[in-house]
Amino acid sequence: MSGIVLEDVRKRFGETRALDGFDLTAAEGELLVVVGPSGCGKSTLLRCIAGLEAVDDGLIRIGDQDVTRIRPAARNVSMVFQSYALFPHLTVRENIAFGLVVREEPKEVVRARVAEATQLVGVEALLERRPYELSGGERQRVALARALVRRPDAFLLDEPLSNLDAGTRVEMRTELRRLHREIGATMLHVTHDQVEALTLGDRIAVMDAGRVRQVGPPDELYLRPQDRFVAAFLGTPAMNFLPADAARPFLPVPDGTVLGVRPEHLRLVADGVPARVEIVEVAGSDAFVHVDRGLVSKVPSDGRPAEGMQVGLAIDRADAHLFDEASGARVEWT
Amino acid sequence: MDVTERRQVALMLAPYLAGVTALVVLPALVTFALAFTEYDLLRSPSFVGFDNFRELAEDDIFAIALKNSLVFAAVAVPLRLAGALGLALLLHRRFTGVGLYRSAGVVPTIVPEIAYGLVWLWLFNPLYGPINLLLRWHGDSPTTTAWGVQPPQWLTHPNDARAAIIIMSLFTIGEGFVILLVTRQGLPSELYDLAALEDATAWGLFRRVTLPLMTPILLLLFARDTIFSLQWTFIPALIVTEGGPPPYSTTYVPLFVYRNAFEYLRYGYAAGATLTMFLITAVIVWLQWRIVRRWRKGFVVAA
Repeated sequence: MSGIVLEDVRKRFGETRALDGFDLTAAEGELLVVVGPSGCGKSTLLRCIAGLEAVDDGLIRIGDQDVTRIRPAARNVSMVFQSYALFPHLTVRENIAFGLVVREEPKEVVRARVAEATQLVGVEALLERRPYELSGGERQRVALARALVRRPDAFLLDEPLSNLDAGTRVEMRTELRRLHREIGATMLHVTHDQVEALTLGDRIAVMDAGRVRQVGPPDELYLRPQDRFVAAFLGTPAMNFLPADAARPFLPVPDGTVLGVRPEHLRLVADGVPARVEIVEVAGSDAFVHVDRGLVSKVPSDGRPAEGMQVGLAIDRADAHLFDEASGARVEWT
Repeated sequence: MDVTERRQVALMLAPYLAGVTALVVLPALVTFALAFTEYDLLRSPSFVGFDNFRELAEDDIFAIALKNSLVFAAVAVPLRLAGALGLALLLHRRFTGVGLYRSAGVVPTIVPEIAYGLVWLWLFNPLYGPINLLLRWHGDSPTTTAWGVQPPQWLTHPNDARAAIIIMSLFTIGEGFVILLVTRQGLPSELYDLAALEDATAWGLFRRVTLPLMTPILLLLFARDTIFSLQWTFIPALIVTEGGPPPYSTTYVPLFVYRNAFEYLRYGYAAGATLTMFLITAVIVWLQWRIVRRWRKGFVVAA
């Protein structure tokens, strides 16, 4: 297994900068999740690492090898696609063995590796079926087995869970985590789903407009976002933002800054800043309380106020984030 | 579908159904009925039972025409499909001028058949036709090619004439080309990305990915082109080779039917030949369809 290093990688499509000075390092054996909104360049990033797109500038290293200009097959990476990319005319066994057969590996090697990979993802019973006979989850397992069978230096996973229903997605998320632990491979997983990113990654890289905004462990990104984009992107519902004037009833906020507070940290109290409850959304054990100041508070469902009620709001300074109004960069409290 | 929708569908289908009934179904039924009669347009048709079919079975010219038609289809259909597939694979990507090349692939198909036949009559002319002029270029003598053999006698030698009709058919592949072009463009690009990561060669990619995924459509086109080929020979044989050279080298079933009906005024006999050809075509297509059915399931998923 090998780590992946990207240094100042640039890729343009006409006037669009898909990757705009992209820097990222995935350590050997790490499961690094790249998360960002649709169209931010995530898939282009993976395609550039795989060699399916030529980069305009920059350096890509896999292990010790500079792979920036070498053909895809020589990079020894496996890719799992959102659409699974299974060959409809081949059985599960033939799909998994495809890469080995194309490379003309001996039959015994193919047989042994296919058996090993199918056992790892639990598709032994499906080997003679064709893709149209499989469920979404089963197809994704087969795609994973096909990626595993060649023992690549690194795995590139392009939104592999996006086409699955909610239940299967959760199941496959756990499965991916288990698989990663078992094989200890370097995995670069891109997704637009922040929950997937937060639950799956050893580290997360938040990406926007072709650049990395912040890289770090999930809790670090959630608790100490380095800029307003990262703060807004991670968390459901999104972080509340208050310009300095609107924030002052809560905390003494300096001019030129924006106060950010996560919904779970916007407390409902008896003697707080007065507000009227407009809408209450109940989501199982939690309720999202929308108040007339354009803010959202997350409270336990059993303690939720009724719509139309007057409530008091409070924010603790320890839970509040400050961002520069112009640049969006994090500002520390003084 | 409720009653109103059904009425709307019936109303929209009505003009088409009326046209098909008047122009296809009724003439076909009349032809089938005429196959059991003797009819010369002057006297009323008289019922002769299976006499026309008995005569056809013993008719050497019909046997030659049938054999010519089947050999033509057996040679021309695979070549036409290979040509259409080759063009589709060559032109499915976008590059400067691709629209022009694609148009060039379709144009011969939309040229009126008579005009197409007349153009080829000139192209194949053994004396001043450009094909033989080109073949004789730098020849040792005015009548031999550069490699010392006589160029094909397209209009006078039996095998050369049959080859000429096949060559003519290889340029009217526009419909197959367009269908295969669209099919190729519809194949998921991820499969090709994956094959690139697995180090598949161009030939391996064609053999393991492109061809299997396009085969269901190729088989459908194979059936369709077989029907087409068994009918297509009429104008070229009439205009370019006139059914010859002797003995009936390019007399195909459509020309045989035409001559019996409109030159010898044997409508009943011609109808019998038509019905025989119809049944043979139906059997061929039925056999092909049985093969196609096996592939359909896989293709639905691919599409």
